[in-house]
Amino acid sequence: MFDKIKKRLIGLKKYPIGAEHYELYEEIGQGVSASVYRAKCLDNDEIVAIKVLDFERGNCDLNNVSRESQTMILVDHPNVLKSHCSFVNDHNLWVIMPFMAGGSCLHMLKAFHPEGFEEAIIATILREVLKALEYLHHHGHIHRDVKAGNILISDQGAIKLGDLGVSACLFDHGDRQRARNTFVGTPCWMAPEVMEQLHGYDFKADIWSFGITALELAHGHAPFSKYPPMKVLLMTLQNAPPGLDYESDKKFSKSFKQMTASCLVKDPSKRPSATKLLKHYFFKQARTNDYIARKLLEGLPTIGDRIQTMKQKEEDMLAQKKIPDGQKEEISQASFCE
Amino acid sequence: MPFPKIQQRERERGKFSVCLLSTIHSFIQISFIHSAAKQSIAMKGLFKSKPKTPVDLVRQTRDLLIYADCNPDSRESKREEKFATLSKLLRELKQILYGNSEAEPVSEACAQLTQEFFKENTFRLLIVCLPKLNLEARKDATQIVANLQRQQVQSRLIACDYLEANIDLMDILVSGYEDPDMALHYGAMLRECIRHQTVARYVLESEHMKKFFDYIQLPNFDIAADAAATFKELLTRHKSTVAEFLSKNYDWFFAEYNSKLLESPNYITRRQAIKLLGDILLDRSNSAVMTRYASSRDNLRILMNLLRESSKSIQIEAFHVFKLFAANQNKPADIIGILVANRSKLLRLFADFKPDKEDEQFEADKAQVVREIAGLEPREN
Repeated sequence: MFDKIKKRLIGLKKYPIGAEHYELYEEIGQGVSASVYRAKCLDNDEIVAIKVLDFERGNCDLNNVSRESQTMILVDHPNVLKSHCSFVNDHNLWVIMPFMAGGSCLHMLKAFHPEGFEEAIIATILREVLKALEYLHHHGHIHRDVKAGNILISDQGAIKLGDLGVSACLFDHGDRQRARNTFVGTPCWMAPEVMEQLHGYDFKADIWSFGITALELAHGHAPFSKYPPMKVLLMTLQNAPPGLDYESDKKFSKSFKQMTASCLVKDPSKRPSATKLLKHYFFKQARTNDYIARKLLEGLPTIGDRIQTMKQKEEDMLAQKKIPDGQKEEISQASFCE
Repeated sequence: MPFPKIQQRERERGKFSVCLLSTIHSFIQISFIHSAAKQSIAMKGLFKSKPKTPVDLVRQTRDLLIYADCNPDSRESKREEKFATLSKLLRELKQILYGNSEAEPVSEACAQLTQEFFKENTFRLLIVCLPKLNLEARKDATQIVANLQRQQVQSRLIACDYLEANIDLMDILVSGYEDPDMALHYGAMLRECIRHQTVARYVLESEHMKKFFDYIQLPNFDIAADAAATFKELLTRHKSTVAEFLSKNYDWFFAEYNSKLLESPNYITRRQAIKLLGDILLDRSNSAVMTRYASSRDNLRILMNLLRESSKSIQIEAFHVFKLFAANQNKPADIIGILVANRSKLLRLFADFKPDKEDEQFEADKAQVVREIAGLEPREN
């Protein structure tokens, strides 16, 4: 009963419109035309994340920006990152979102688990991501950019799928569109049918990316992540699907390998839906948010400090004239937009 | 499409035939097998709820909407239960219309659903009761409404007939922009309804049209953007209706457009407005309006201010409207006067004026505009 009331109160909470109600702190993320800051809402002293998008920078399409802001404000699922509100401030759009103190899974891998997470952690994270996909697919949305970099962790260990920046709606325009046919996403995680651009693609493209993300969480990086984008495309189309077949993957269970393999089938119609996949035996070992908080977050410096350290590390490497790994990957990990 | 109707009647008759067959005709071997088979289906039905037809689903939805509409304060628990069922029903209806991640929609089922939906007032009830539903149910309802606009029954868009007879529903949808909780749902529904030309004409000619100039500038970006999308749809979709509207309402419309949108202090309003103005004026069906617009010195003054903005995107869009003033072969004297007086400033501006991406058409247009302005002679009046 108490939970119900609390839920309603949270639902009723309004976030003020206007830059003067917020105080920006350090930058915690950066994209092509947007930066994300930690900030405080001065009306209620709550820490939030603010995505500041420059309308004048990059190839920023107003229609896409509007659609994303609407999708994110109408989202209501514990595993999908929503926005509280958005408003225009000078040349910029400010999108107010919950602050995810744990940062992204990609960040967590790079900084503390370069060899990948252990299986129970992976199962817990992936189950939450699947719930998010089930919800989005039900509403006709294809996320189109599922990857560790878009899986966020809250200070309580809750998992949210974020960045609907390139998501598309199959139910747009009141009609079920047969399929989408645009080249969108990030090469390493992109399903073969998205790359081919032949017959279009649907919800199942997210299931492929989900499978790649599983490998990413297991190994600390996505397959082919060290190669340039064109090479990644060729390898995805020509090679057998990647899987849990490293020497070090012997530690993983059979059900994990099966689950991953069922997502990474080149024929999209043979991949399971999110709903069906949720029933897979592998997810029986998934644990609670507390478990994630305990295993991944305990004793960590704050996200701002962590990002500072990482930037410092990359600068030091640049000074030594070595291309940092991160930058190499950045090239093949940049998202394509419509 | 007579087929689905027949099928449906067969199914309804089937309910009675189970008991009839089993009591009267059971001594006939064939019938006996037949009825046994049917009975086993009926038995199963006891344990697993029988799949409802689209028509049943719509009727049940209607009953619950009527309840929701006229029982504002009945007992809490009973009410919650009914609303939960209603949400479930809307979800089922949506799945019939759109399919799900496993299956595509079936056109017969869609047609049956659509016909039943518009037969009585289910559509109106859904719109009126929308604020009482929870967020997920509202989203499902919005997608149902959007889809119904395109469903053909016996090759007719019956949604259009229904809306023409219930055009006051548009008043509810438009005023949704004044309620932040409803704006995005009613807005999306409205945009789908104005796909029908007669409905769009009603909204264009109504008093609502004036309100859009304010809705576009609402502080919530998501709502303002939605209103802007609807405004654009109204002014670009149905060419002949738009041309008629603009010539009849020229004076007040462009006075508002200039002062409220193009001269708005809000960057994004100016940017969207100048883009839309270009789309409107450059459309061939609006050529009369374009000629009129490009003959006014007040309009020229506003456009020249937009050309000087610090925002590149606004400058580029402003150029596409400005070029109409320069290219006009029957320029009024005062327009020539202004262009001549500002000639050197304009030519300097255009000298290093180009979009981020290379654009041949833009370069050609610019060259022509530069030629026109350079060759102008002030005319004696």
